[in-house]
Amino acid sequence: MNAEARPSRVRDPLWRLLPLLEVRPGRVAAAVGLGSLALVCAIGLAAAAAWLIARASQMPPVLTLSVAVVSVRAFGIGRGVLRYLERLASHDVALRGMSALRARVYSGLAQAPGTPSVRRGDLLARLGADVDSVGDVVVRAVIPAGVAVVTGTGSIVLVGAFLPEAGLALAACLLLAGVVVPWLAARAAARVEADGAAARGRVSGIALELLEEAPQLRVAGRFGGRSADLRAADQELDAANEAGARISGLSAALGSLAQGLAVIAALVLGIPAVAAGRLAPEELSVVVLTPLAVFEATAGLPAAAVQWRRSREAARRLLGLLEDDTERVGESRPGLHGVSLDLEPGSVTVVTGPSGSGKTTLLMRAAGLLPGQGAAHALGTLFIAEDGHVFGTTVLENLRVARGDVGEEEARAALGAVGLTPWLDGLPDGLDTMLGTDATNVSGGERRRLLIARALLARADALLVDEPGEHLDARAADDVVRVLAAHARDTGTAVVLATHRPIPAGLADHEVALTLRR
Amino acid sequence: MDCEGRHFLRSPPTRKDRRVRPLDPRLRHIRPARSYLTLTVGLGLASAGLVVAQALLIAALLAPVIQEPGVTPAGGLFVALGLVVAGRAVVAWAQERFARRAASRTIADLREQVVTAVAVRPPRGTGSTPDGTAVATLVTRGLDDLEPYLVRYVPQLVLTALLTPALVLVVLWLDWVSAAVVAVTLPLVPIFMVLVGRLTAGASERRLAAVARLGDQVLDLVAGLPTLRAFGRAAGPAERVRALGEASRDATMRTLRVAFLSSMVLELLTTLSVAVVAVGVGLRLVEGQMDLGAAIAVLVLAPEVYLPLRRVGAEFHASVDGVAAAGRALDLLAPSGAAVAAVPEAGPARPAEGAGRPVTLVLDDVHVRAGERGLVAPAGLSARIPLGSGRPGDGRVVALRGPSGSGKSTAVLVALGLVEPDSGQVLLEVAEHPGPSRERHADAGGSRGPGDHPPSTGTRLVPLHEFGREAWWRRVTWVPQRPSTPPGTLRDILHLPPGAEGGLVPPQRTVRVARAARRTGLDDIVRDLPHGWDTRLGLGGTGLSVGQRQRVALTAALLDDSADRPLVVLDEPTAHLDARSEEQILDTVRTWRGEGRTVLVVAHRESLLAIADDVIDVTARPVPGTALTDAEPGAAR
Repeated sequence: MNAEARPSRVRDPLWRLLPLLEVRPGRVAAAVGLGSLALVCAIGLAAAAAWLIARASQMPPVLTLSVAVVSVRAFGIGRGVLRYLERLASHDVALRGMSALRARVYSGLAQAPGTPSVRRGDLLARLGADVDSVGDVVVRAVIPAGVAVVTGTGSIVLVGAFLPEAGLALAACLLLAGVVVPWLAARAAARVEADGAAARGRVSGIALELLEEAPQLRVAGRFGGRSADLRAADQELDAANEAGARISGLSAALGSLAQGLAVIAALVLGIPAVAAGRLAPEELSVVVLTPLAVFEATAGLPAAAVQWRRSREAARRLLGLLEDDTERVGESRPGLHGVSLDLEPGSVTVVTGPSGSGKTTLLMRAAGLLPGQGAAHALGTLFIAEDGHVFGTTVLENLRVARGDVGEEEARAALGAVGLTPWLDGLPDGLDTMLGTDATNVSGGERRRLLIARALLARADALLVDEPGEHLDARAADDVVRVLAAHARDTGTAVVLATHRPIPAGLADHEVALTLRR
Repeated sequence: MDCEGRHFLRSPPTRKDRRVRPLDPRLRHIRPARSYLTLTVGLGLASAGLVVAQALLIAALLAPVIQEPGVTPAGGLFVALGLVVAGRAVVAWAQERFARRAASRTIADLREQVVTAVAVRPPRGTGSTPDGTAVATLVTRGLDDLEPYLVRYVPQLVLTALLTPALVLVVLWLDWVSAAVVAVTLPLVPIFMVLVGRLTAGASERRLAAVARLGDQVLDLVAGLPTLRAFGRAAGPAERVRALGEASRDATMRTLRVAFLSSMVLELLTTLSVAVVAVGVGLRLVEGQMDLGAAIAVLVLAPEVYLPLRRVGAEFHASVDGVAAAGRALDLLAPSGAAVAAVPEAGPARPAEGAGRPVTLVLDDVHVRAGERGLVAPAGLSARIPLGSGRPGDGRVVALRGPSGSGKSTAVLVALGLVEPDSGQVLLEVAEHPGPSRERHADAGGSRGPGDHPPSTGTRLVPLHEFGREAWWRRVTWVPQRPSTPPGTLRDILHLPPGAEGGLVPPQRTVRVARAARRTGLDDIVRDLPHGWDTRLGLGGTGLSVGQRQRVALTAALLDDSADRPLVVLDEPTAHLDARSEEQILDTVRTWRGEGRTVLVVAHRESLLAIADDVIDVTARPVPGTALTDAEPGAAR
């Protein structure tokens, strides 16, 4: 876990990301220690009980058994308690890690040069899941592996102390169950993922299409065909699962076999040793019965290996998001040449042009949000995107994103200016009403107006608004444009509007018409 | 290993689905699940037999040697033990091998059934469908939760039911005192778990909900980064994210301290019981009251008795999501426990279906309740829409007009037979004998009720469902706002003959496609595509924007045989339509009319209304007795 000591040229994305978890090695060691002690109790219980009955069968004075009796009971109690403590310790480590990682990822994205495009719901959910998955590696992989190493070694030493060759046999079986089996399990998972990725994508794609487009598919008579396609894709996925299942079946069989072989080896090696007098009978009992408990240590390792792999994939995606900004700067944007915007105070400029002619690009470049030739980033320019974010908080807090000191009256006035007063009056808690994450309980038109209201509250020298009338009917769209124009006149803010629809006559001071370039 | 903890770290509480039945009996309707359960029971029985055999063989090998060192046990016992070990490996292999396969088949089967069942319901936006996003999530990812449930939880459950009683009986046969200890402690395990669970449930759920909210807030901030950055406030929330994380950790740890108690009770009871059995056996051995072989067998079997129950406990939380997913899927299939509805498309066609040639579409006093909006939209819509004959000059443009939310798009869905009106009906006037009937143009009025005009001679009025929706759809071309395209290349979709366009004498089809593409503006788009006409369109035409897909759909609709499909239904797009695109759509509509087809358009803008021959006004009104709370225009699309 001392990843921080490693040089940054480490290739494994998980190792590179682990420092961001800010995990303290001491905490991990404590969790591994507690987990090992818990398992030592289980193994100790088996060993002490084996010794107890073997010795008891020789009918010694009861007093000679008291140590064994007491330790059997103590181990019986200790295990549950220690396991409880271990789970608390490991989850604490994991939660600390996730919390740190989440903060680091946020800061990383906030400082990245490009515009992060983690806006789409699925990408966002994946970001959350990826952070969790990387954090999970502590609880589900690192600590179980540590516990397995400690207790496995301990058991080998215990059995080896009685009969070295039995210790060696146990070591071999533990290696089989603790290394080969998890490796196979991880390979099976990788196989399913690699082979099944395409099929999986097709399955969800077709399923979504069938759900979303069902009416038109039915009317066009294509529904049956697509259902058959779904079945075919599912069969492909099934084939990929088959390949994985063959490997994981082998892994499960070997895991079971390892334990049985350890017991048989102990019997085969131990019985002659007892006959030769090298091993006391009660020791034979320990050597044979202890392995039955030891393999609990390796039982969780296949899952740990799969988790490690999964966390590494998650780490790779997170690193990609944090380090690679080419992906984020955006899809190909139209080139713009020889276009200039004059941002005179109090003026209204309209940028028109067909879809794809670069209106948004021009605005973003003017706001300094996109690097580019001739980017003129004037201080205090504010770009209001068409798909601006409505945060999952109150109406008032959403408006305060523009400016921290927006008062209630100011907020009401701004909402009124864009015609949202009836909407506000209809909200259960007025300005304190919580809006859903990404404003799912706000309609497209309300959302558009809310974003305009927020823009009106910001103190900016220039306001660059992309498609102010989107999702509004013609009358409402014109009203919004009038409000923005009035705002320009009243406050001296330069307002630039990019729109594909005509705006009311006489409102614009300048007009920039963009054309599609071939 | 730690599924319970993981569950707490991750999932928001799904407790409202918590009629958790460990095994949903409805699952037996899913064929792969049924055969899988049979297999699991078989493997469970085999596993029970092998566990017992292994314990007895170890005892038989070990006991004589301990009692008389120097004795060499019979080689046959070793062979037998070897066979048992191999047998257990085979069972483990089969369980893993077939469990996964059965799981993936069950999931596929459920997915297909859910998709089909949900898809044939009325389209969204009519208030009567389950939340579309939720269904999509369930179908794509939610059902995957079934895998751990089927692969790990169900086998353990079956093992608990089979193995545990069998092992108790064997222990009873070996040593009744130990069996008594086991019989007393075994029921304590579930009892204590339920008790601890009950005590802690309420508090943990409240905290977990808070934790889930904190997690969402962080993601919300990430999602809003571009906005925060535009306002110059992106750096501020970094501290807040950290603070939220710490708060979330505190809350979670408080929950876990309580939640893990139930697992501690489980571990404590099971391990302590094994210890009690071991000590009891040991003490009776000293007294000479017991046989060493039986003692060893009991010692080996005692942990095995508790093992399945412990695993069920460990997997329980992991299974909750699976059970919930299965429950949601099964609910969608049979909402009230009724039999799974058959897909109408799959049913055999009734003999009367599609008989005759529809000449007029009649909407008679159609009302559709728009559920949550407290509106009836459309309300009392009546119209007669004459259908084109496919002869030039015979076409017309019928526009649906009305403010946003008045039910124009719903009216289209009703006319297509995709939405059943809550009252009123959709009828078709059908000509008994093929061949155009000229006289019907006399009553090509806009919005008069069907009662005003008796059916023309030689025609009869048939309710749409009697005519048959399938048959009706074969007569209709529908271009929705967001059209999907079939998979394949553009060339395949439009049946464009292979080869270069503009050869010396291009085939007639090529000429037609080129003309249609020029009209809709598709040719501009194709020119910019990397592979031109051979560009492969992905699922649902991904790779093309909505506007581009619209062009593809318009072009395909232009190429349809106009005599075959007398009605074109067009839901005019509202967003991202510049003057040029608008002109192209008008042009396309005019072409259809010129070909003698009836074009039913949902018109959002004046230009389309201007070329319409008939205009039907669509109005909404509040459901009687319901306050109109959300009259926001635009909310209703």
